[in-house]
Amino acid sequence: MDPMEAIKITFFQECEEQLAELEGGLLAMEAGEADSEVVNAVFRAVHSIKGGAGAFGLDDLVRFSHVFETALDEVRTGRLAPDPNTVLKVMLRAADVLADLVRAARDGGVIDEARVQQIAAELAGCGAGGGHHDETPAGAEPAIEFTPLAFAMPVLEPELPPAPATHEWIIRFQPKSELYANANEAALLLRELSQLGAMTVELDSSMLPQLDALDPEGAYLSWTITLTTERTETEIREVFEFVDGDCELSVESAEPQVVAPTPDVFDVMALIQKVQAAPEMAAAPPLAPPASPPAATAVVAPRPSPPAAAAAAAAPAEAANGQGRADAAAAAPTIRVDLERVDRLIDLVGELVINQAMLSQRVMEAGIAGASAIGMGLDELEQLSREIQDSVMAIRAQPVKSVFQRMSRLAREVAAMTGKQVRLVTDGEGTEVDKTVIERLADPLTHMIRNAIDHGLEDAAGRLAAGKPVEGTVRLSAGHRSGRIVIEISDDGAGINRTKVREIAVERGLVSPDAVLSDDETDNLIFLPGFSTASVVSDISGRGVGMDVVKRSIQSLGGRISISSRPGKGSIFVMSLPLTLAVLDGMVVSLNEQTLVVPLTAIVETLQPKSSNVYGMGGDARVIAVRDAYVPLIDVGLLLGYRTDAMPAGEGVALLIESDGGGRAALLVDAIQGQRQVVIKSLEANYRHVPGIAAATILGDGRVALILDIDSIVAVSRTGDLATEPKLAMVS
Amino acid sequence: MPAAAALKVLVVDDQLTIRSLVRSGLQQLGVVNVVEGADGEDGLRAMLMPAPPNLIISDYNMPKLDGLGLLRAVRAHEPIRTTAFIMLTGRADTDLVKRAVQFGVNNYLVKPFTVATLKEKIEAVFGALT
Repeated sequence: MDPMEAIKITFFQECEEQLAELEGGLLAMEAGEADSEVVNAVFRAVHSIKGGAGAFGLDDLVRFSHVFETALDEVRTGRLAPDPNTVLKVMLRAADVLADLVRAARDGGVIDEARVQQIAAELAGCGAGGGHHDETPAGAEPAIEFTPLAFAMPVLEPELPPAPATHEWIIRFQPKSELYANANEAALLLRELSQLGAMTVELDSSMLPQLDALDPEGAYLSWTITLTTERTETEIREVFEFVDGDCELSVESAEPQVVAPTPDVFDVMALIQKVQAAPEMAAAPPLAPPASPPAATAVVAPRPSPPAAAAAAAAPAEAANGQGRADAAAAAPTIRVDLERVDRLIDLVGELVINQAMLSQRVMEAGIAGASAIGMGLDELEQLSREIQDSVMAIRAQPVKSVFQRMSRLAREVAAMTGKQVRLVTDGEGTEVDKTVIERLADPLTHMIRNAIDHGLEDAAGRLAAGKPVEGTVRLSAGHRSGRIVIEISDDGAGINRTKVREIAVERGLVSPDAVLSDDETDNLIFLPGFSTASVVSDISGRGVGMDVVKRSIQSLGGRISISSRPGKGSIFVMSLPLTLAVLDGMVVSLNEQTLVVPLTAIVETLQPKSSNVYGMGGDARVIAVRDAYVPLIDVGLLLGYRTDAMPAGEGVALLIESDGGGRAALLVDAIQGQRQVVIKSLEANYRHVPGIAAATILGDGRVALILDIDSIVAVSRTGDLATEPKLAMVS
Repeated sequence: MPAAAALKVLVVDDQLTIRSLVRSGLQQLGVVNVVEGADGEDGLRAMLMPAPPNLIISDYNMPKLDGLGLLRAVRAHEPIRTTAFIMLTGRADTDLVKRAVQFGVNNYLVKPFTVATLKEKIEAVFGALT
């Protein structure tokens, strides 16, 4: 690839990060939580986009980001107050436009030029009175009077590190009482200091009071030390590292300084100590940027100096010497890795876990006692394998922040379209979940936020009449709960209109007119296929998509969704999703000598079918009565061809399942073996697609077990044998 | 006349894009020994390693420690005090360049830049590169 093209890809990746930073920062400013660091970060984000765009000649992007940057500079320098209702509203919309421009530059596509112009004009209007930044045409040299400072290059011959010259230092050391209270000892520090070179120590006891005035825990002594050493000031100060703050310390050169120090105070030593204490990173060529030919950095050092990589390797040792004073606030270093490599690793770890399980089972079968050394070793191996698996899964995990941030833009747009005032509050954005889950969350979340604003919240008049503030609140939160991620969307609107929901459900034949339903059951009717609460299909939430689609996409991720609602107070949707898609909680069942796995999330309950509850529908089709409803009974063995004759009524176990499509059925199998977490192996990748089968897994005894595809089994059974499909979806 | 291959350059910018662009430009000029820093503190850390670079090309506007701070730190720390320093600036920022001059910057480079400009700016400091 052309190196410039590769850098351009990097640029667009960085743009996404900067856009997220920009929006996050603006939202913080809107909430009044912004300090100058946030404002600077926001400015820098736009500035960076402009800088990169300039390098690639993306003129539209440069022009707009320039206007944006200018307005932000006004805020940064305090000439423009970041009013949440005016300036920040414009800036948030400008951030949306900037995002569109970046994506248009990347993917092509049309931009609403009028909108760009309008927002640019509004931005320029915000910063009126400023405008001191003249647009510099790209590449033009600014008119700055400047004489470059020539420089004799000092490093042409291979050099040894300059022979360290000894130097005389005057060190003044006055412990405070805290130093002693913290169990440090001045004498020990002096002894350590003496290791650095020749020194003379002078004790100053002039502060020592009379005995009757002496506080036994006080500190009255100080020392002046003259140290002749080749060590640097940093190394001298390191001796006192642990008593930092518990003593007065000065380290001065006894000889006159060669260079006049910079006129104002600039504590370079403090800075150096800070950076050396911070976690080491990035000095090495970070992740060989795509433009560089491989190993370019490591090749041509014409002198025996360690190349960057070696230098970097030396750094952790230095950091360790710094005794872990690592600044906790410093952002953790990150690397970018190909997703493919991660997935390959996840796959391999899956194999490892399966292999370990097989090994354990073999050892057990061989009759080796659990308490033996082998048994204990195996236990440890199992523990480690699980830990590796968890850690590897965590690599794919990302905070939900990215998708949450998209929702705030959506909320702004929907609010503008509906003319409602909305505040979107997000919480738990740092909650991590598998990348694929995050990507596939965007659509259902979009739909639900739209719904919450469009249908959930009342209009301004309605809210006032109900005694609520005009501005409605939609809350989006995420958190971990018992090994799953739980996402909640709540609004403080009118709540579900149960009478109307019930009417519609009856009208559409989704529930019988005389059915007795609890409030929760009524609320959950909105998830049934074919149900749409909007009596008027609106531009925003209509689109012929109902909550059943949302439910289906959540279920296809192995998740569940439910709603609870309080009339007049609002509604809350609760989604619970698995943290990863690589393992599955399954119910292991046996069927005609075969072992199958049914995804646990699909199972509603297990039943012991009595022959009196099972009714033939002609042919092999049967239904089973589950309390007051009838559900198709699917003989899995027959359907998958494991046997030719139907299982006699009253035998086996039935699993009441709910498919992603919302349909219910009962699966008839021989017996249940138990619940187990299984590693998902693609059947397509290793064999080919088999109807009714979603994937495969390998069990601890080495046998391959097929994982049922609930959706397609229910579909096949309906189109196949069950000619008369009972419309009895609602079962409590 | 210094050989480009003898130069070891530290490129400091919070944008990987800009670091890559500078690195790519330097490679076209025959400079092979390039290390990177993601902000001023990171750059300073790289300067404190054994065999520090002899030229720093640093952005101005960065988190943690900006380009001016890095320049001041380099000029205030004896072992690396004489390292050549070229400041990257986003526009014709006269004030910035003036302050950088005050702290001993060797040259400045305005983004976006061409490889020819980059060469010119480096040669103004070191003499013609071979």
